Amino acid sequence: MNLFLSTLILFISTILLVFFLKKNKILIQWKNRKNDKRRIKIEDALKYLYNCEYNKLTCSLNSIAGSLSITSNEAANLIKILEEMGMIATAGESFILTAEGKRYALRVIRTHRLWEKYLADETSISETDWHSLAEIKEHKITSEEAENLSAQIGNPLFDPHGDPIPTAEGIIPRRKGIPLTQLEKGDFGKIVHLEDEPSAIYQQLVAEGLYIGQQVKLIDKNNERLHFEANNESCFLAPSFAKNVTVEMLPDLSLVKKSFKRLSDLKLGEKGVVVGISKACRGKQRRRLLDLGLVPGSVVKAEIKSVGGDPTGFNIRGALIAIRKKQSDQIFIKNESE
Amino acid sequence: MKNRENILNKANELRWEIGESLHDNLLESIYKFATEISSRVIAVDVSKKSKSFDSKLDQILTSSKFGFPIMFLLLALVFWLTIEGANIPSSLLSSFLIDSIYPQLKTFSSNIGLPFWVDGILIDGCYLAMAWVIAVMLPPMAIFFPLFTLLEDFGYLPRVAFNMDFLFKRAGAHGKQALTMAMGFGCNAAAVISTRIIDSPRERLIAIITNNFSLCNGRWPMQILIATIFIGALAPSHLAGLFSAAAVVGITLLGILLALLVSWSLSKTILKGEASAFSLELPPYRPPRILKTLYTSLIDRTIFVLWRAVVFAVPAGAMIWLVSNITFEGLSIAEWFINWANPFGLLIGLNGVILLAYIIAIPANEIVLPTILMLTVLVAGTPEIGAGSGVMFELDSAAATANVLSLGEWSLLTGVSIMLFSLMHNPCSTTIYTIYKETGSVKWTFVAAVLPLLIGFVFCFFLAQIWRLFG
Repeated sequence: MNLFLSTLILFISTILLVFFLKKNKILIQWKNRKNDKRRIKIEDALKYLYNCEYNKLTCSLNSIAGSLSITSNEAANLIKILEEMGMIATAGESFILTAEGKRYALRVIRTHRLWEKYLADETSISETDWHSLAEIKEHKITSEEAENLSAQIGNPLFDPHGDPIPTAEGIIPRRKGIPLTQLEKGDFGKIVHLEDEPSAIYQQLVAEGLYIGQQVKLIDKNNERLHFEANNESCFLAPSFAKNVTVEMLPDLSLVKKSFKRLSDLKLGEKGVVVGISKACRGKQRRRLLDLGLVPGSVVKAEIKSVGGDPTGFNIRGALIAIRKKQSDQIFIKNESE
Repeated sequence: MKNRENILNKANELRWEIGESLHDNLLESIYKFATEISSRVIAVDVSKKSKSFDSKLDQILTSSKFGFPIMFLLLALVFWLTIEGANIPSSLLSSFLIDSIYPQLKTFSSNIGLPFWVDGILIDGCYLAMAWVIAVMLPPMAIFFPLFTLLEDFGYLPRVAFNMDFLFKRAGAHGKQALTMAMGFGCNAAAVISTRIIDSPRERLIAIITNNFSLCNGRWPMQILIATIFIGALAPSHLAGLFSAAAVVGITLLGILLALLVSWSLSKTILKGEASAFSLELPPYRPPRILKTLYTSLIDRTIFVLWRAVVFAVPAGAMIWLVSNITFEGLSIAEWFINWANPFGLLIGLNGVILLAYIIAIPANEIVLPTILMLTVLVAGTPEIGAGSGVMFELDSAAATANVLSLGEWSLLTGVSIMLFSLMHNPCSTTIYTIYKETGSVKWTFVAAVLPLLIGFVFCFFLAQIWRLFG
């Protein structure tokens, strides 16, 4: 047991040493925590005020307290600080952002959406975690770091939910489209935006397999639920969920794509013509598939299946390429004769 | 100035309007244009013959009936050729380096009157360690790497990755990890370098951390010898070979299983994420270019890995000589450590000698067994068997080795435990250094080094407790 003790002591002292080496950093972090908390509250409040203006809602002391989950006393203090900083002005019972405040809010939103885009394109982090991770990160990145990130991922215009990313100068276009609930029976539409808050609703939308760029057709609607078709599959959503989906009407029916098969539907030996890759396939993965020649018009033939049944080897422009089912589900094809 | 701003604003507006599909449209038009040109200038020769041979071969190699058996047979053949083929050149090299050169060096040093400790450190320590590493490592590597590269060149390895992908997908890892894992059966350090073929950083880290569960060249000889002594002895003599071979294959399969399990738990915890896209080109089969393969695999892989191993083994040789020759109150440092570590070693089914050997042999796994023999003789106090304290040796026959091990009071449990521990312990320092070079991170190097060791301790501890409970 003597040995046990000495081993234990050795182990603990190693851990202590590691902490000692990191100590300075930890102390600094501790000191910064209070300032960080204040910064987070300020930035969240500005973001909330900006969203109110964007959606043409008025915003009161109570609604600020509610959205930041703080007491109204704390909210009043926060408002005072923001006024002293020249970020907001009072207009009767409600508050509006000054030019300075709007610029700040847009900078935070830009960072948030850039980070979501980065997570979607460059990492394998699950879709439902993007928003909450960006909520934390948006307060930690300096604007210089945000610009570097933007350049690194190719100055994107939209975040993965379809929201436009404000430019560094604070320019942002008006959102187009209408809520899914406003479509009438038989209308076609293209999804342009999926609201990521509250996250419980967003997770449900993701679980239904909805994504930006998807075409939907409204079959039926009443007060309790909407029935619509997306990629040839029936979906049902409660109106309170469906209003978080924004669509763009597709007026000209000749533009509307018919339902398509997926690449994964091909049986061995069958051929198909690529129509397009779903927008749910993003970033490097999408670029790789395109570079391999999976562009509209390419003829693809399923040749071999692996021992486990997945992946499948496809003949694409003369080369045999193995693709997992998850990706071949995201590639749409039609028959050669069509 | 005003004009410039206007243009920039206009460009920004247009970017919003064009939207996100610019890259898609661009590629589509490039392909369209290229197809137009090629359809005008290229006449397609309808040589269906070779094409149908390829697809027939593919259908056999990837069928659910024959896919895996063919893969196991081919890999077994490569290992068998490596183990069998390496025997003769290995013994030639060791008789040259150890039986001929070593005595000459000793005579030379005593002629010019070197002090005994300089002679001990340089010749008994450094030179012998280097000789061991070269004799044991060079021949298998020179056989294994070219064979492996030939399979790769022929186009078979991409099919292995294709077949095993579903297992790795479930573990949240990359399909190409099957390739780097197979590479690890030759040498973990070389395999860690080969993980460069995986482009997602998360999956690459998983492949690097779990690569150590592929038994490498330095560990095969000991696995085979210990299995012959302890497992083979359990069976009637005409089945002994089969039994011990099965034990080694079992350890290998356990290693693959562990690699999958650890990959799975890593991608559920510290390396969280979904399996990324997997698109692998399955190139057409082609006759391997033998000379080119020989050249590149010898120069790029064999010599490169051997050089690193030698660089690390030389100081280890000096260490071994020093710890067994520097005495303190009548006992050498080695004996002090062994007595101190023995209770802990017994707790996990091993003993103090084995623990010390694994610490000294961090630079190169192949010197573990010679070090164990040397230390056992040192502790048992029967120097007449060995070649003097601090001098590594290996015995000619399994029977002689068994005799020495019985001096160290080895049991069946010790044998099984050391086989398991050899599978699950920290990578050699060459591999650790390579991991550091490849990841550039102290943290991940630490994880890769300590994680398998912890798994080994836990596994062996429970095995020993359960064994003693029922044994």
